[in-house]
Amino acid sequence: MPAFLLNSSTGKRALVLDPRTKLLLLVTMAVFVLGGLGGVQMENFRLALSVVPVFFLLFSMKWRAAFVFTFLFSVFYLMQIFLIPVTSGVVNFLVIAMTGIVTRFMPSIAMAYFVMSTTTVSEFVAAMERMHLPNQIVIPMSVIFRFFPTVGEEFTAINDAMRMRGVRFGGGKVTAMLEYRLIPMMICSVKIGEELSASALTRGLGAPVKRTNICRIGFRFPDVLALALCLLAFGMWILNSFFA
Amino acid sequence: MSQSTISNKRLQGKDLINVGIFTAMYFVIVFAVALLGYIPIFMPLLCVLVPIVGGIPFMLFLTKVKKFGMIWIMSVIMGILMLLTGMGFYSILVGAVSGLIAELIYKSGDYRSASKAVLTSGVFSIWVWGNFIPLFLNIDAYFSTRQGYGQEYIDALTRLMPPWMCPVLLIAAFISGLIGGLLGKAALKKHFQKAGIA
Repeated sequence: MPAFLLNSSTGKRALVLDPRTKLLLLVTMAVFVLGGLGGVQMENFRLALSVVPVFFLLFSMKWRAAFVFTFLFSVFYLMQIFLIPVTSGVVNFLVIAMTGIVTRFMPSIAMAYFVMSTTTVSEFVAAMERMHLPNQIVIPMSVIFRFFPTVGEEFTAINDAMRMRGVRFGGGKVTAMLEYRLIPMMICSVKIGEELSASALTRGLGAPVKRTNICRIGFRFPDVLALALCLLAFGMWILNSFFA
Repeated sequence: MSQSTISNKRLQGKDLINVGIFTAMYFVIVFAVALLGYIPIFMPLLCVLVPIVGGIPFMLFLTKVKKFGMIWIMSVIMGILMLLTGMGFYSILVGAVSGLIAELIYKSGDYRSASKAVLTSGVFSIWVWGNFIPLFLNIDAYFSTRQGYGQEYIDALTRLMPPWMCPVLLIAAFISGLIGGLLGKAALKKHFQKAGIA
């Protein structure tokens, strides 16, 4: 399962972006592509923004992810263009909903994959500290992003176990289905969390001193390009909504 | 000694890590439930389903809360995560207020009272309602951002969401939060206390 998320080692990277730039890119994607801000007026720009993650994935040598994303996105986008006019009724509704959801979610998921797989926890913490966020936000946030893959992993394992026992959708008992999945997952998470916090304490996370960080983060040329893209998106939205 | 008692009342690294773990767990569960929202009829029902299911991990979280701020931080972070998943920024505003009120309620019970915990779960759940605010402020603007889902989806949702639904959803979120809290309390009793976790 996903060992790629917020690795502790950097691995090889061709493109080095500042974590703050990555966060802004993620927010931009979430707001414009996933959230659909800007409406119909920014339709073309949204499409352009949707293909941006491919370049980031390619530059960071994530060949497989880049291929999968490009393939899925183009298939569903073409379906959106060619299938919607020729279908009708329930099929039409299903096609619209499905393609709408996939084309809307895929770019943000790809971008999130890029951000998560190329940022270490230390870099993430360093960036948030540079932004002068309080510790009360920095520590939980870094734990959350570290923790998502763990929860997902546990969930798959528990799902398999429950399927073997025959506890599944359509089994008749909704409450049992929920209970037998939620409770073990919560117990696992609590246990893993205890280990995690023990390991974090040995790294001085709970100490009443300012932690140092050896990660070198800073804005370079690629950051400028990426930031310009984000600013362009927000600039266009402001122009469209206040001066049109 | 006085130094250590003061710092014991403040949030330590361990508490903040706990907030992170439980927020992650809560978010994953909420997200799984919220995917049902793509079926139009389930959209308003999310205000009911999310607090009920979310109440179970939330009640477990409350057993770990002993200091001021943990519930509030969780509430604000849920808002930030909603922004990151494209639900708009209203849940940050709502979460900042409802989280603080929830925190104060639980604090008034000395971070122990079980009945106050259920009430806290109800108030905390109001952040869910924040995601629905754009629907009522300007429904056309909201749907201009949801064109991809098709006209049938939009029509179905518009019929389901007349303006009077706004306060109804708020109350629904609160009451479902209470139910979720009770469910969570039952789950704690049935599973977690036995296992020595809660």
